[in-house]
Amino acid sequence: MNYLIIGSSAAGIGAVEAIRKYDGQASITVVSEETTPLYSRCLLSYYLAGSVDVIGLAYRNADFFREMKVNALLGRRVESLNAARQSVLCHDGTEIDYDKLLIATGSSAKIPSMIPKGTNGVFVLRSLNDATAINSRISTAKHAVVVGGGLVGLKAAFGLKKRSLLVTVVVRSNYVLSQMIDYDAAQIVMKRLRDYGITVLMGSDLTTVQTNNNNLIGVTLEGKEKSLPCEILIAAKGVEANLQMLRGVEAQCGHGIITDSTQKTNLENVYAAGDVAETLDIATGERTVNALWTCAVQQGRTAGCNMAGNARQYDGSLGMNSINFPGVDLISFGIVKPPKSEDYEVLVDNRPETGIYKKIVLQGNRIKGMILVNKIDTAGLLLKLLRERSDVSNLKNELLSDHFSYATILAKQGQQEWTRYLTASRITGI
Amino acid sequence: MPDSLRTTNPTEETREIFCRVDRCLGCRSCEIACALSHSLTGELVSTFQEHSLPVRRIRVHGLGVTSTFTRHRVIALQCRHCHEPLCVDVCIAGGVTKNEITGLVEFDSQRCVGCWSCTMVCPYGAVVRLSGSGIAVKCDRCDGQDALACVSACPTKALVFCTLAEFLQMTTAAE
Repeated sequence: MNYLIIGSSAAGIGAVEAIRKYDGQASITVVSEETTPLYSRCLLSYYLAGSVDVIGLAYRNADFFREMKVNALLGRRVESLNAARQSVLCHDGTEIDYDKLLIATGSSAKIPSMIPKGTNGVFVLRSLNDATAINSRISTAKHAVVVGGGLVGLKAAFGLKKRSLLVTVVVRSNYVLSQMIDYDAAQIVMKRLRDYGITVLMGSDLTTVQTNNNNLIGVTLEGKEKSLPCEILIAAKGVEANLQMLRGVEAQCGHGIITDSTQKTNLENVYAAGDVAETLDIATGERTVNALWTCAVQQGRTAGCNMAGNARQYDGSLGMNSINFPGVDLISFGIVKPPKSEDYEVLVDNRPETGIYKKIVLQGNRIKGMILVNKIDTAGLLLKLLRERSDVSNLKNELLSDHFSYATILAKQGQQEWTRYLTASRITGI
Repeated sequence: MPDSLRTTNPTEETREIFCRVDRCLGCRSCEIACALSHSLTGELVSTFQEHSLPVRRIRVHGLGVTSTFTRHRVIALQCRHCHEPLCVDVCIAGGVTKNEITGLVEFDSQRCVGCWSCTMVCPYGAVVRLSGSGIAVKCDRCDGQDALACVSACPTKALVFCTLAEFLQMTTAAE
């Protein structure tokens, strides 16, 4: 059997490990555009902040490909797929055949269209190259502007602030992290951002960039008369799936390649996983791309198992994030801002004086989502209840309690949970 | 989950720390023993002079009086070293691994950046925050030793380290 994996980040690594578990001998080829893969993208902001060095960025050790007996073709970009011939074509003209293919090409950061290509000082934070480039500009810069108030933008802002730059975050909506938390939780985060010395501009966006000899010197913003000087701009307006290699191929795509519960695409012997794949979200029940490291690892594993002939179902992706900034620990997942029209029930414990906030969203007595700020210890228990679609009628008075524990679930959910407790870990993690 | 989804099947000999709720008094001796075994000196009084207090990775919880437990019962819980641990999947630093030989789920404190992704997914709430350094720790089963601090310290022999079959036998006999 001849396995080909395009991409060597979370999903690609997960797939390699899964395939090797079941097939010690098969040939595995990994093609990656990056020359030094195997690092953790999620840690890049830590690297920028100076709290993690290059060695600390490693997600797998440098011997990974050798240990896994992988033929690694690095620094090579796949241009196209010929599904009928079961082969891919690389930018350098090499053609690679496969019996089973995994597309794990990930996603790219969107760059606002008004920024001229090749402007020095404009960055995204997606790859080690990006982080290195930002790093080398920090010493000569004084001001940084981060466009986008999502997770990547805020992590970058904290990192740059820690490196003593004057940092302004420009946010389109009227609060930060609007994709994953609500207004009340965002107030706590914004207070911490400001306490840390970061300027946050709400309801604004980039209008133009000002350059001198192609070097960034400032930006103008919507609703602001004066321009803002800056030598570094980080575009953090979300990502889009890298679908380029599928041009001209009859692959079913939405925002990503549509995959079934085994991570298979509509093409014979072709699988997809990670930021490039559309999967079923377990909270909303709708197809979506949950472009998250955690989802990518699990999808890669699922794909790898199925490619190696070991049938395995992915129980679905979930928008879930754990964030820690100075003074803020925050975990959120699932539906956190339910539409008013439907039969959702919302439990809230807001303690603004201590910066503690808890919100749990229920529908039909089942947990659909939650936000925990600065009291996050019970997150995994709530996630377990969501994933198992447990009826939590018995637990409603306990869910928000700081003392909520697995023992509470054991006690209130009766014999069924007790049996599950005794046998669960012997079957699977959850 | 159906059988076909299993990737590894634990053997009948797989042992785990179980708590016999018919015996647990909630005295928290296990918590103290656990914290001490993870302290620098391992001695109760001098531990208080350490830079930061050691943290227990096992915790006693009340079960209350319910239809399942008709008397007030308590239980000690800790990391169960799941067979397909979610914490391994979600660690952004690649710092959580399942040791295929010992079966233990291992946290590498050198790699931990304190992002709490493991806390986000642990179905037993077993991840603990190390005070001071702000990194995630949990039961390391006394580094793979057979002599477990919590089990050894339990005055009522409520904590046992045994197979599921043995545990069920014990608890059935007690009923």
